Amino acid sequence: MELKIADLTKEFGHFTAVDHLNITMTSGVYGLLGVNGAGKTTLMRMLCTLLRPTSGKITCNGRDILKMDGKYREILGYLPQDFGYYPDFTVEKYLLYIASIKGIRPAAAKKRVRELIAGVGLQKAARKKMKQLSGGMLRRAGIAQAMLNDPKILILDEPTAGLDPNERIRFRNLISELAENRLVLLSTHIVSDVEYIANEILLMKEGKILHNGTAAELLGTMTEGVWKCFVNKSEVEKYMKKYKISNMKSEAHDVELRIISAKKPMADAELVDANLEDLFLYYFGEKAGDSNADF
Amino acid sequence: MTAMLIFEIKKILVKPVNKIVLLVLTAALLVGSFLTLRDVTYTTEGGEVLRGISAAKELKSVKNEWKGELTEDVLWQVIEENQKILAETPNLDEAFVKQQGLRDIHEMLNNGFAGFDEWDYYRADSLSPEEAAGIYQIRVDSLKEYLSREEVKNTFSEKEKEFLISQWENLKTPFYYEYAEGWKALLDSQYLPTLMTLLVVILGALVAGIFSDEYSWKADSIFFSSKLGRNKAVLSKISAGFLITTVLYWASILLFTIIILGALGVGGANCPVQLGESNWMSIYNWTYLQKYFFVTIGGYVGSMFITLLAMTVSAVTRSTVIAVVIPFALSCAPMFLGRITVLTRIISFFPDMLLRICTYHDEFLLCGIGGKVMGVFTFLIPLYVVLCLVIVPVLYLIYKKAEVK
Repeated sequence: MELKIADLTKEFGHFTAVDHLNITMTSGVYGLLGVNGAGKTTLMRMLCTLLRPTSGKITCNGRDILKMDGKYREILGYLPQDFGYYPDFTVEKYLLYIASIKGIRPAAAKKRVRELIAGVGLQKAARKKMKQLSGGMLRRAGIAQAMLNDPKILILDEPTAGLDPNERIRFRNLISELAENRLVLLSTHIVSDVEYIANEILLMKEGKILHNGTAAELLGTMTEGVWKCFVNKSEVEKYMKKYKISNMKSEAHDVELRIISAKKPMADAELVDANLEDLFLYYFGEKAGDSNADF
Repeated sequence: MTAMLIFEIKKILVKPVNKIVLLVLTAALLVGSFLTLRDVTYTTEGGEVLRGISAAKELKSVKNEWKGELTEDVLWQVIEENQKILAETPNLDEAFVKQQGLRDIHEMLNNGFAGFDEWDYYRADSLSPEEAAGIYQIRVDSLKEYLSREEVKNTFSEKEKEFLISQWENLKTPFYYEYAEGWKALLDSQYLPTLMTLLVVILGALVAGIFSDEYSWKADSIFFSSKLGRNKAVLSKISAGFLITTVLYWASILLFTIIILGALGVGGANCPVQLGESNWMSIYNWTYLQKYFFVTIGGYVGSMFITLLAMTVSAVTRSTVIAVVIPFALSCAPMFLGRITVLTRIISFFPDMLLRICTYHDEFLLCGIGGKVMGVFTFLIPLYVVLCLVIVPVLYLIYKKAEVK
């Protein structure tokens, strides 16, 4: 299985959401990491044939996915960011309906739906209406529908957004279980999601892939170090304006800062190993002093 | 495909608002049937007014005394009988009771002899038997006289005038007569067109969300990324709209028909519609049974077109609210716009006309295609069948090519 994106561009008027993007993916879990508005959802929608590219193309094993039409979608599973459903259908009916539009025969669909309901732990909620489910249950129903056709390509757009920590961990584990022998592309802006389950990480910014590789490879691209230091509370603002701060922890008298900087920010700063959150901030973060900073 | 279709129909029927809409339809159907039956009355010699089934039983008995062709001899006898009643019963209310058996023929004579566009309730009472015998020729002559009037000179072209006269001349005479209260209640009252208008609005509300709900529920991404989401699943949506329209339309119309004809009787199916009080001027030479087929099939074609249009609007605008407005606007607005003289001609080609064949078949609404003049309904039914056939592939392509932005 090879999914190849070649010179892919998507423009909405004058705004370029995906900009001449090139990447090739085979089996494994790919984590698409980027801030909101980086173009992740647009890219995923093009991968799911929901949007037509302005230019460039996506091929699956050498064939244009738009020309493959139903043949491509037959091997595709998709969980969108805004997972929509039919509020008055029960979970079981909802899954049976999705099975029908995925071309699964009714008898096989019943069996598959039973298996997946058990697999995602929704047995007790199977007869509940979709509108009565909690956020976590809805996400599980969402992953179940994506898995109905046992897809070779599984695309998950922000699958853990809005879940509480327990649900997020359970959901991550579920995705890991399902990832075997298929290509999973997982988009998120939650670093720990990809840290735990992605084999390869794609860093996306302003419609382009900045870097891709394993976590270690990406950490190796950082040209600045990560420094741990303690500063007086009154000095925090000064450091925030001057440096990218990946973490800040208040102690009794001081504040522990995790600073990303090429130079040692202060005499008693200690160089520590970088993690993915540092990497995220390194590529996507701003200093509090930057004009466009989100602080 | 069948499984998808069943789910599409379930999607429509499980919506709470649609359940309410279906209850409204059932209630309207039952109330409409009750009121239609209640309008059929018979007054006994004791002055008691019977309604519905019991009235129908009495009317059938007295009206069928005149069953058969309304030849000169029969009309002669009717006039004589009427004059006898009036002579013996000076009180008009009491006379009315005795006239109930010949009331239909009495009204036909009133229509025929009052003048082309006039009405005289007592005209038949002053007719001699000799005069009454010429009613069929007088009907045609009165039309010719009307068409030669100065004020209508430019209303119709020569071809249209010829068509109108030939239609009136071609009407089979003498009229066949028998008790036909069931058909008259069904087809000559306002209840059937009202039911059809209500049906279209309700059908519109039901089908309006078939396409747009995928967007409003944000279920579009999964729908379109599924294997059949851009082909068979779209067809199943169109089929669901078609089935809902077909089943609900025919179930409602047939239920209404069964209730009315079941209660009032099916007799009179072969009577010409011109025997009905308000149909004297009809340019369509139908029997009541033929009128029933025209009215119901025309209504079905009109309803189907309007619901298909609502579905198309739903697919294009992605808004259920806008789609719901379409059937309402198309079935109600032309009634008011038609009163504006400039728009009358255009409005007569609107699909809502097919819901009101009952009401408008006695008006001189004509159209000419390739030099051939015909009644507007003869043209509208095939026209809207063709438009329905055109709209289906357009709707399919619109939804098939939709993008999720």
